[in-house]
Parts: sequence; structure tokens; C-alpha cells
Amino acid sequence: MTRPADSAGPGNDLLVHLARLASALRVAGVRVSLSDEIDAARALVRIDLGDVDEVRRALRCTLRIRPADAAHFEQAFARTWLDADDQPRSDRPPPPRQGPGVKVPARLAPLAAATDGGDPRNEPPEEPPEEPDDEPDGDRPGASAQALHRRKPFELCDERDLAAMEPILDRLARRLATRRTRRWVPVDARARGRADLRRSLRRSLATGGELVTLARRVRPVEAARLVLLCDTSGSMEAHARFLLAFARSLRRVARRTEVFAFNTELVRITAWLGVTRPAVMAARLREAVPDWSGGTRIGECLAAFVARHLTALVDSRTVVVVLSDGLDRGDTALVGESMRRIRARARRVLWLNPLAGDPRFEPTAAGMSAALPHLDLLAPAHDLASLERLLPHLRT
Amino acid sequence: MRREIHELDGEMAALGYIADESIATAVFLARELGRPLLVEGDAGVGKTEIARVWSELAGTELIRLQCYEGLDVSTALYEWNYPRQLLRVRMAEASGQTAEAMEEAIFSRAYLLERPLLRALTRVDGPAVLLIDEIDRADEAFEAFLLEVLSDFQVTIPELGTIRAIHVPHVVVTSNATREIGDALRRRCLYLYIDHPDVAKEVAILRSRVPGASEALAGEIARFVGGLRARDLVRRPGVAETIDWARALCRLHSDHLDPDTVAATLGCVIKDQHDRRSLPPAEIAGLVAAARAGAGAGAGG
Repeated sequence: MTRPADSAGPGNDLLVHLARLASALRVAGVRVSLSDEIDAARALVRIDLGDVDEVRRALRCTLRIRPADAAHFEQAFARTWLDADDQPRSDRPPPPRQGPGVKVPARLAPLAAATDGGDPRNEPPEEPPEEPDDEPDGDRPGASAQALHRRKPFELCDERDLAAMEPILDRLARRLATRRTRRWVPVDARARGRADLRRSLRRSLATGGELVTLARRVRPVEAARLVLLCDTSGSMEAHARFLLAFARSLRRVARRTEVFAFNTELVRITAWLGVTRPAVMAARLREAVPDWSGGTRIGECLAAFVARHLTALVDSRTVVVVLSDGLDRGDTALVGESMRRIRARARRVLWLNPLAGDPRFEPTAAGMSAALPHLDLLAPAHDLASLERLLPHLRT
Repeated sequence: MRREIHELDGEMAALGYIADESIATAVFLARELGRPLLVEGDAGVGKTEIARVWSELAGTELIRLQCYEGLDVSTALYEWNYPRQLLRVRMAEASGQTAEAMEEAIFSRAYLLERPLLRALTRVDGPAVLLIDEIDRADEAFEAFLLEVLSDFQVTIPELGTIRAIHVPHVVVTSNATREIGDALRRRCLYLYIDHPDVAKEVAILRSRVPGASEALAGEIARFVGGLRARDLVRRPGVAETIDWARALCRLHSDHLDPDTVAATLGCVIKDQHDRRSLPPAEIAGLVAAARAGAGAGAGG
């Protein structure tokens, strides 16, 4: 081990090594910022440079290497730091950056999700806080043209129908995707809400310490996060267009919506929903999703979601919506197990099933009955009227 | 290894915290560079304990801010003491004080309730250790606010002005990764990931924290729990649970693991109904046998 000797400041040689390491990490897709490098340089002068393990530990700490990036770090460290030492390290090669079914590289995915919806016009409208309380639940008939659309089964809808449905879908999406936060914000004194002592007192100074009006505060409505899992298999093909329209509506109102399509494989399609014309989007999806409208393996796909994305995308603020008929050709025990895990983490789990609209429907499809104990709500999704009946269930 | 890091490791062990080199290095660097330390890892691997040991080492106060959803500035930073303020206003009325004088009086430090963050900044006797526990449970808005505090170590109270830290506290931020915490906060901190300990380290921890447990029992417990962690469990037991379990077994005067006692006391380490059901007696017997066999192999070799 012939590393530069310990000295008062980081030597040139050391900084060169550090810069090479950082750039190797960046090439490998590990984000390392300049400030991390500065921290690393400051750390290096404070440790025993002769001890390679200590150098490694200090670098991992200051370069903020997460467990997921550890293999990349070891490789880059071996290449850029230890090469001169003539002792190749037998570290295992890093795992592939992306799982078999995921087309978006895992590292880029959060970025893509954050930026592709970045069009400010797509931001959810600022809602006055009291609106959800007063808003009708959507059971009232709208215009007659809308009424026509209400009972039209989705498989018969064309693109024009979908466009006409957009307002209802948007409203449904808003109900689904918002919730009250637990923080308090001040509101106008006339609004309902809890008394805000702090502001009340401040205001009372103007009236000689007399509390003439009470200031109020409420818990604001916040856009929740959504994860949408769309079945695009053969038995669902007729509904897939609608599902995508729904997914787009959700993206418009929710702060963060992640959309996955699944049939035999799970594919993250969030990034493609930014396209404005549904037809273009559908064509793109067809290209990208392997075996679009082929068979279904719901269990495997849900399990893949749990394994790869559950921790990062689902938390106690997230609503998970599965759109599927539950007709599974794979392992149904996996369906139950995966749904159980999802439910354990999510705020709410909904399953929308187009077959559930049939009055004779019983959730007897093996996949469906396995999932049922782990759902907050199983609802029909065969036409717009059925979706509207969902609204009262979605109070936040 | 640098002498200071080695010493730190030893000092932490003396206080009942079996650190490994990476933990000692991270604490050393956080102290030297004056940066907050972000500690991630599963529940029960000893993230919070780091702050406790650090404060004992430094002989200073541990100030803890437990995060939860809805945590806001008035709980984390400061709040005015409204009842006292109102009382003062009433009294002032009688004495005919001017509005300005009264305002000055009731919005002074005497009427300020210090919450953990402010207390950490205003501590006079040397830097405190500030533990911000489970930051992932707080809202993103609070995280952004925290970032500001951790960058400048100063806060602004509208009625009082800016308060600068007297001594910059040592900060430990922990996260269970129930949500991704923001990149900005991550960049502000040094980073430490604590994994579940290996058998040797867990034995050392048990020996240190549960003096009643024999070397043999500690080894069996550690190997058994190691076997549990290798399974596909919803909640993998952490070190804290292992310690509880070892204490329970000591109380029952067990010298070795046996399937019946394990089945009766497994609630100490397995805290999920589903996980418990996945461990029928036969499985437990297998794990116990493996744990005891490991002891034999260790003794033979």
C-alpha cells in the first residue's frame, strides 16, 4: 500500500485520485456533487491514509454512498484508488442497474418522474381549503351529453367520448388524489377552523388585549401521491384506453403519480404519459410494453413492484390503485402476498375491476379473491356512472 | 487506523455501544468536519443510540426532536407562552402601559417556550448533541425548514429577530427510509448506513448489554436471529429486539436455546402476525438446531 503519506493538507496526488474516483462514480450513475468531494478531501487529511479500509470508510461516509450504490463504489474505488497498488480486488461486479421488466433505468426514474410532469400548467389547481367539504359528491346529472356518456361501457368509447369524459375523470382524480395534511395553516377569520391562538393574541394588541376576533387555522388539502397499476392484458384490452385516460387525469391533479402497466411484465410508464394526444400515447405504449394485451401474470408483476418500487414509491401518504379484472394465469398466492405488503405501507389500496359492474359479479377469479382481504375498496369500473359512485368513498 | 478513531471506537464500547469501524469513522468525521450525520438503516439497528453515546462521550446534553407527520415550527422550534402573555396584557391594562411597551414586554425571551431546535442552538454550556429522529416521518415542508436551520444554524423569530447558535450543536439525523428524504438534506449531511450486525458483532453487543447471558447463549441467540433475518420477513428483528430477547431468556434462566422456550418467547423478536405464522414448530426446531450446531462448529474449530 503506497498511498501518499499523511501530510498537513491534501496533496495534489490525493486530489487527483479523488477527482478520478468521483468522475468514475458519476459515469457509473452515482450522483456525487462537488461539495461531497470537498468534504471527502477534508476528511482525507484527518484520517490514516495508510489504512485502505479507513480511507474507504471515510470516502463512503463523505461521498454519501448509499447501500444501493455500494457495489459501484467498490468497483470505482478499486479502479481509481487501488490500481497503483497492484492488488486487484475481487469484489463482485455490481448488479445490473435495471431489473428485467423496467425500461426506465432505476437511477434516472425518479428524475424522469420529477421532470416530465414539470409543465407548470399541469400543476394541480390551488384549491380553497374548504372546497372538498362543500363539493357535491358528483352524483348529480350533468349536461345531457355527459349523461349519455355516463352509462356507455368503456369498451365502446372512442377518443371523442374519452375527451368528453375528461371533466368527470378529473373530478374523480382530484377526490382520489387529495387529502388533508396534518399541518396547520392560517385562514381568513370568517372561515371555519380551529382557533389560532398565536395570531389571535397578536391581533388583540391592537384592541388593548381584548380578543375581538379569533384568528383561525385549518389543515390544508394536499395532493397525495398515487401509484397506479394498470393491467393491459388481453382480457383488459377493451378497457385499456380508458385506463390510460384516467391515468392522465390523475397525473394532472396529483402531486406525484407513478404509473405502471403490467401483463406478463411490469413496466414503468410514468414518463410516457406526458404526451398530449391519447392515440399517440397508446401507440407508444404498445411499442414499449412487451406483449401488450397478451396474457396476465398479476402475481409476478405485483411481486416485482413490491420488490423494486414499494419502498421508494409507496408511503403512508400514497394511494395505490390497481386496475385489473383479476383474471390471473400465474401464482395467485403471490397476488395475495404482494397486496398484503402494499397495503401494509400504503394509505389506501383500491382495486377497480371492470367486471364488477355486472350484477352477477362475484370476486371469485382466483387472483381477485386472493387480493380481496387486502383491499380498502373493490369497485366496478366499467362505465363512468360506476366511477362516479366511487366518489363518496373517497372522502379524505 | 488513525488513533483517534480507534480510541473513539473503544470509548463508545465502554459506554455500551459496540460500534464498528465505519460507525466510529463516521462519528469522528462528523465531529471533525462539523457536519450533521445522517444515519439510515432498518428499525432497531442502533441509529438513535449513536446520539446517546455521542452525548455521553462529549459530556453534554442530548436534545431530541422526534419527527412525526404534521410536526411544525411551533413544536420543533419555539412557541409563545399564550397564557402568560394574556395574563401580562391584563395586568398591563390596569397599569396603563402603552401598547408599544406592552408588545415589547410580551414578545420577549421570557415569554418564549423553547422547543428542541431552539434549545440546541441557545445552549450556553458548549455544543449539545441534537438528535432529529425519524426525519422521514415529517412532512417535506418541515424537511425544507430543517435544511435551512442545519445550513446556517440560525433561526429567525419575527418578533425577536435572528437568533444565532451560541455553539453549533452536533447533529444526528436518523431515517428509517419510510420515504426518500430530499437530496438537499442528504447533501447537507455526512452519510452512514448501518446494516444488521454480523454474528460476531451481535455477540459482542449482547455480552455488553446483557451481562447475564453466557457466551454460548449469546452465540446461539445471534446465530438464530441471523437465521431469522435471512428469511423473507415483513419485519426483520433489529439489535434492540435481540437484546430484549436475550434479557427475557436470562430471566427464564435458559443456558441454551430449545425449541419450546424459543416458541414461547419469540414474541420478543417477531412482531408481525404473518411472520409468526410462517414459523411453525418444525421451522423453529430447524433454526434452533442450526444455531446450536454453529456453536459446536465454532468450539471445534
